[in-house]
Amino acid sequence: MTKGMIELTQSKQKIKKAKKMKKEKKSFFISVASVLLFLLLWETASQNEWINPLFISSPIEIAQAAVLMVQEVSFWENMKVSGYEFVSGFVLAILIGIPIGVLSGWNSTFNAVVNPFISGLYVTPKVALLPVIIIAFGIGPASKIVIVFLMAFFPIVMSAQKAMLTLDQNLIKAARTFSASEFQIFKTIALPSTVPFLLNGIRLGIGQGLIAVVVGELFASTAGIGYQLTSNGQNLQTDRMFVGVLVITITGIILTSLLGIIERRFSSWKPENS
Amino acid sequence: MENAQLENFKLSTRFLDVTYVNNKTGAEVMALQNINLNIKDGEFICIVGPSGCGKTTFLNTVVGLLKPSKGEILLDQQKIDGPGKDRAMVFQNPSLLPWRTVLENVLYGVELLKQITAEKKKEAKGFIEMVGLKGYENHYPHELSGGMQQRVNLARALTVNPSLILLDEPFSALDAQTREFMQGELLRIWDETKKTSLFITHQIDEAVFLADRVFVFGARPGRVVEVVDVDIPRPRNLHVKRSPEFLEFVDHIWSIIEQESSKQGFDNIEK
Repeated sequence: MTKGMIELTQSKQKIKKAKKMKKEKKSFFISVASVLLFLLLWETASQNEWINPLFISSPIEIAQAAVLMVQEVSFWENMKVSGYEFVSGFVLAILIGIPIGVLSGWNSTFNAVVNPFISGLYVTPKVALLPVIIIAFGIGPASKIVIVFLMAFFPIVMSAQKAMLTLDQNLIKAARTFSASEFQIFKTIALPSTVPFLLNGIRLGIGQGLIAVVVGELFASTAGIGYQLTSNGQNLQTDRMFVGVLVITITGIILTSLLGIIERRFSSWKPENS
Repeated sequence: MENAQLENFKLSTRFLDVTYVNNKTGAEVMALQNINLNIKDGEFICIVGPSGCGKTTFLNTVVGLLKPSKGEILLDQQKIDGPGKDRAMVFQNPSLLPWRTVLENVLYGVELLKQITAEKKKEAKGFIEMVGLKGYENHYPHELSGGMQQRVNLARALTVNPSLILLDEPFSALDAQTREFMQGELLRIWDETKKTSLFITHQIDEAVFLADRVFVFGARPGRVVEVVDVDIPRPRNLHVKRSPEFLEFVDHIWSIIEQESSKQGFDNIEK
């Protein structure tokens, strides 16, 4: 391969990238327009009372409520509480889920020991366990941390298990011809293979974890965003309620975007075709 | 079949049997029976034969992934017992780690053998250049074509500095033109390194082009049917494939395989 040929392929790739970015920009503007249109329709529907504004509120009312709430101390207190519950539960899910998933995927004995519990608990509706969890851990943050952990744990552990079960056998065979030990195969092939699966599992875990915070607080708590939006909803203060919903949505978007950045950093070796 | 003389052979197999158990039927299958072969240092040996004749089993046994059920294999007069740094294999599937660069992949073999040094890194770069991939050290496998990936595969095997290189249909997954080109490239590289090589292929013209000798295997049980001495002078270029003596060799080997296949009673022979 001559230097000229290398340069030719590189400039071809640059053109491809530029075209792709132009397309992405166009898509972005269409998405923004789509959202704005939706907000406009919503505002109009509310103003003209096509649907009861008490139930659906309106973008303007929600914005006004948001401005008010951001100045309330209680709002930030609730944010702190929910944030603490989510982060603690989620970090626990990662710290416990990844090792268990990786080990049970790699070692069949370990898998035989833990898998009945993982599979069983996975299909058990965690919400059914809520009363027990609340009694055991109280109505403070601890019980919410447990629920977040329980719900975020499964996508994470199962993605790790899946990764270990779909290892490229060609790579393992090649490694064996170079006298690789089991540990070397684990370290150089198995572990790196889990990364894309884990990132996906973590993304799902984020979604499940956020749901868990709201459900837990809804069920029994004295503080938190979920608690606040539930009581707002029950009092038909739908504008305030939607602010709460938006907070959680925006948190979810920020977290998954961050994850996307991490993913791109770790996946620079992947083919760039979408 | 050759008589074992007092000459020092690079690789010898004596009375080699390899059996395995068929997973579905539970029956023991004799994949290879009574293989007695002697290969000299620096020889390029090609192995051809119908499907099921044990070519890949043979290579896997020499590289150490399988154990003989009877007999032994000697490399440099030492008995082979499992994989080792004296042998390296080039598979049909490039089997490169997708999350590593070309250079890191080329060093993967020596890394597993726990032999990475600054010297080895330099050697690896040298082999990358030798296989024609200079400038691609920091590229990822997905950025390379099939032929380029196989060259990385080859560089990885060469970096280990084995006594014996084993190649299991390395070009079968490539398109016909790339394949021809790679055959020429392989001979060029072999000429520079003079490594004793065992090369399996289904393509007879490929075998005759590359080899000093061609071992024709037969099936059921796997055994050596004939050894063909390819005395076409070196260096060889791809034009040699069109010469009459070349075609005679191909024809001769093809008839052997045809005969063997009809003995087994199959009509569909893979070329």
